[in-house]
Amino acid sequence: MTPKKKDKRIGLFVCHCGVNIAGVVDVEKVAERLKDYPGVAFSTHYVYVCSDPGQQMIIDTIKEKKLDAIIVAACSPTLHEKTFREAAKMAGLNPYQIEIANIREQDSWVHKDKDKATKKAVKIIKSYVEKSLQNESLEPIKVDIHKRALIIGGGISGLQAALDIADHGYEVLLVEKNPSIGGKMIQLSETFPTLDCSQCILTPKMVEVSRHPNIRLLTYHEVDSVSGFVGNFKVRIKKKPRYVDESLCNLCGECEKVCPQVVPDEFNMGLSFRKAIYMPFPQAVPGTYTLDAANCLGLLPVRCGKCKDVCDPKAINYDMKETIFEEEVGAIVVATGYDLYSLQAIGEYGGEKYDDVVDGLEFERILSASGPTGGEVRRPSDGKVPKSIVFVQCSGSRDTEKHNPYCSKICCMYTAKHAMLYKHRVPDGQAIVFYIDVRAGGKGFDEFYQRTVEEDKALYIRGKVSKIFKEGDKLIVWGVDTLTGKKVEVETDMVVLAMAMVKADGVEELVKKLKISTDTHGFLAEAHPKLRPVESLNAGFYLAGCAHGPKDIPEAVAQASAAAAKVGDLFAQTELIHEPTTVPVNTDLCSGCAICLTMCPYDARSLDRERGVVVVNEVLCEGCGACAAACPSGAAQQRNQTDDQIFAMVQAILGE
Amino acid sequence: MRKYFYYPGCTLKTKTTNLDLSTREALKLLDVELVEPDGWTCCGAEYPLTEEKIVGLAAPIRVLRDVRDEGGEVLVTTCSFCYGVLKRANKAMQDDPLKNKRINAYLKDDIKINPLTKEKKTGFEEYHGEVRVLHLLELLREFIGYPQVQARRKRDLRGMRVAAYYGCRLLRPQKEMGLDEPDNPHIFEEFLEAVGCTPVDYPFKQECCGSYLSVSLPDAATEASYRVLRSARMEGAQALAVSCPLCFYNLDHRQGQIKEKYLDFDGLPVVFFTQLLAWSLGVDRRVLGLDQHTVSAASLFQDDRAAEVTQ
Repeated sequence: MTPKKKDKRIGLFVCHCGVNIAGVVDVEKVAERLKDYPGVAFSTHYVYVCSDPGQQMIIDTIKEKKLDAIIVAACSPTLHEKTFREAAKMAGLNPYQIEIANIREQDSWVHKDKDKATKKAVKIIKSYVEKSLQNESLEPIKVDIHKRALIIGGGISGLQAALDIADHGYEVLLVEKNPSIGGKMIQLSETFPTLDCSQCILTPKMVEVSRHPNIRLLTYHEVDSVSGFVGNFKVRIKKKPRYVDESLCNLCGECEKVCPQVVPDEFNMGLSFRKAIYMPFPQAVPGTYTLDAANCLGLLPVRCGKCKDVCDPKAINYDMKETIFEEEVGAIVVATGYDLYSLQAIGEYGGEKYDDVVDGLEFERILSASGPTGGEVRRPSDGKVPKSIVFVQCSGSRDTEKHNPYCSKICCMYTAKHAMLYKHRVPDGQAIVFYIDVRAGGKGFDEFYQRTVEEDKALYIRGKVSKIFKEGDKLIVWGVDTLTGKKVEVETDMVVLAMAMVKADGVEELVKKLKISTDTHGFLAEAHPKLRPVESLNAGFYLAGCAHGPKDIPEAVAQASAAAAKVGDLFAQTELIHEPTTVPVNTDLCSGCAICLTMCPYDARSLDRERGVVVVNEVLCEGCGACAAACPSGAAQQRNQTDDQIFAMVQAILGE
Repeated sequence: MRKYFYYPGCTLKTKTTNLDLSTREALKLLDVELVEPDGWTCCGAEYPLTEEKIVGLAAPIRVLRDVRDEGGEVLVTTCSFCYGVLKRANKAMQDDPLKNKRINAYLKDDIKINPLTKEKKTGFEEYHGEVRVLHLLELLREFIGYPQVQARRKRDLRGMRVAAYYGCRLLRPQKEMGLDEPDNPHIFEEFLEAVGCTPVDYPFKQECCGSYLSVSLPDAATEASYRVLRSARMEGAQALAVSCPLCFYNLDHRQGQIKEKYLDFDGLPVVFFTQLLAWSLGVDRRVLGLDQHTVSAASLFQDDRAAEVTQ
């Protein structure tokens, strides 16, 4: 137990914060009343203590009055604790001798009665004087950094982040669960508002990633588990068996020809078929065939083995097994992307029942030159060229009652693009768009939408669609035109639903492994919506792309580059500083009951069975204090937040 | 013999006695006795739910309170309208404390006079939604079980192609009704399969038949009914099955007007689902009340000894 250091000289600075505090709390009176409180050697008040002259006043006073500790009675410590600690350091004082007494958020902002609020401020400050008297001078814990980054997800965001970090000169591990990198963007036809071919602008990046000396590309791999902390993560990565040796496969394609198993092709959204041994698309990176074990006959006891027989370079090996290996990294960028809301979720739109009701990504494949129809617009049911297509925006978005309340952000623009491209391919066709409103806020976006309306004569109907059903050869769309207030019934050949963007399938399991937080819709949560938009609240995790929320390509790229820059910031440091306000164990008191082990969310504590006591890895300890509260013997005491200090603070508040 | 309280509703005692009769006869064969609550009144037929007035809810709540006081836990009904009103009024008593308080305050002073003995009854206990309101389809599915219905079949319906018609009242609002998914319902189709019919899938099964517009805007009701019937016909239905007397009126009695207005329409028999149930369980044809149909449904219910199921 630390003995009470009653001989400390404490300086008190009461802040007015303009009228934020001084409007309710009589700051002069507070400073006056604490002048003679035991331990307080100096007391004053100032209009903005956080300002430059305010900080200078602190520095000068510390030197002049030979203070051992200071208390700033001001706003929440989350705002200016760092400022005042830096100031104290400049005056030669240990930064952990600084305390912030919060008399703004916890007093002046929540009270009106000036007299009572002033009394409360006095009590709050007294409690901090008591705490300060027992504060120790602490030195930050220093930790090494593994200057390697892990990127989860090989879509455009993951690729961009990988390239940027690699270009900074750091090593990158890029993990992608699918056989090839490219993500959703590689499936798109052309991109708004410039109509660049999506594959043409993405494939150079994919090739660059595969050739970059600093990037280790791990496709068909998944993150199995993550432990450790910022700068020092240990990641277990699972390598899924591809059954084809990437280095031997020469892409001759003989295996594909003889494979008897035909399954729907995921890359074409099930609009065409592939074999069980396949290459997802011609420009796939890495360029290799993959054997899909779930659909292969050969892995069953009675082997088919046809592909192995014809494989000249002997690249096929049915005995490959799943392997797990461990890597150490310092930072993790999560770029796991999104999925589309399922067609089944909106029963009245018939997406499940009717082949000619497709979602946006299916239509991208239909429009794509590499798609199942070679870029000709033909409907899936009978291959006819649709003479009219109805596009339904906000399918499953902006619906607080039944579906997703948020705006999926990109659908207005891609629907305009779909309507435009359709008209270019089928000049006598008519595009009809149902919309709630057109959100075209972006560079060149509104001009693009206007072109769709004016040049390509897309008919925009403001209103929602209630029902889509089939009558004979035609689809009937029921909706409402809210500008005329009339019900609308449209007969059409095909319907494209702009389905909402939702969290990627299975991302919740990954999130559990990473122990990072998500929002109510399952998208990853940022540390601060305005000031820290690319970081997770958990140190060392960074967010990029649609895993964080719906966004278009330029935004996803920008966020990926920002995340990469943040990783660069981290790696530019020689060592990481860890807060020393941890919870050590007093081995004289510890009985080894291990209750604290179950409380610790960071795996910082372990039981030393030989000595029968708990030991702490202080680098892992985040100082949450859960163990200290649970410890029955008082052996776990948080630095500068001991039981004695807390009791002294409580007494100061209740006393008088 | 299991006993359940049964609320027929007014229409079943007047215009569509065939719905009432076929229900009772069929359930007898399923070892179920249906008991009408003593002195039941009209439920109010939708009007209690259309306005934020408390007084309208008094009628359905009185019925439910009587069921509870007579020891019933469940009240079964076949009419979609009665089902909607009773279920939603009951739900309001469970979920809306203000409505509950106001209705109970209103019903506190009730006096019920026995028409025969002239005996007066007062001092009713407050009602808080204790009774469970069931549609007959729910009773068949959850309390009796479709496999049981299937096992008791006496006649083979030979996979008659029947379009199940839910109409507007059975499914919505989902939060209050909770009978089935409003956009993809299957309780009715499963019933049809259980009695030996082939359900026909068609997009108009949950669309409105025109309902009350029958009176105020008959043309609108004619069009709405025509589209439902036409859609079922296009998908190859031999008959359309309903559970609601008002749907029956619009879809059956109105077919004369439909034919006059839409020359392509050549008629489609409309039946109550309970008629199909009764028929498959072996009820006598004369009890089905086929004379109440405008469009003859007689050809659907032809006794054919060869087709009888030998159990």
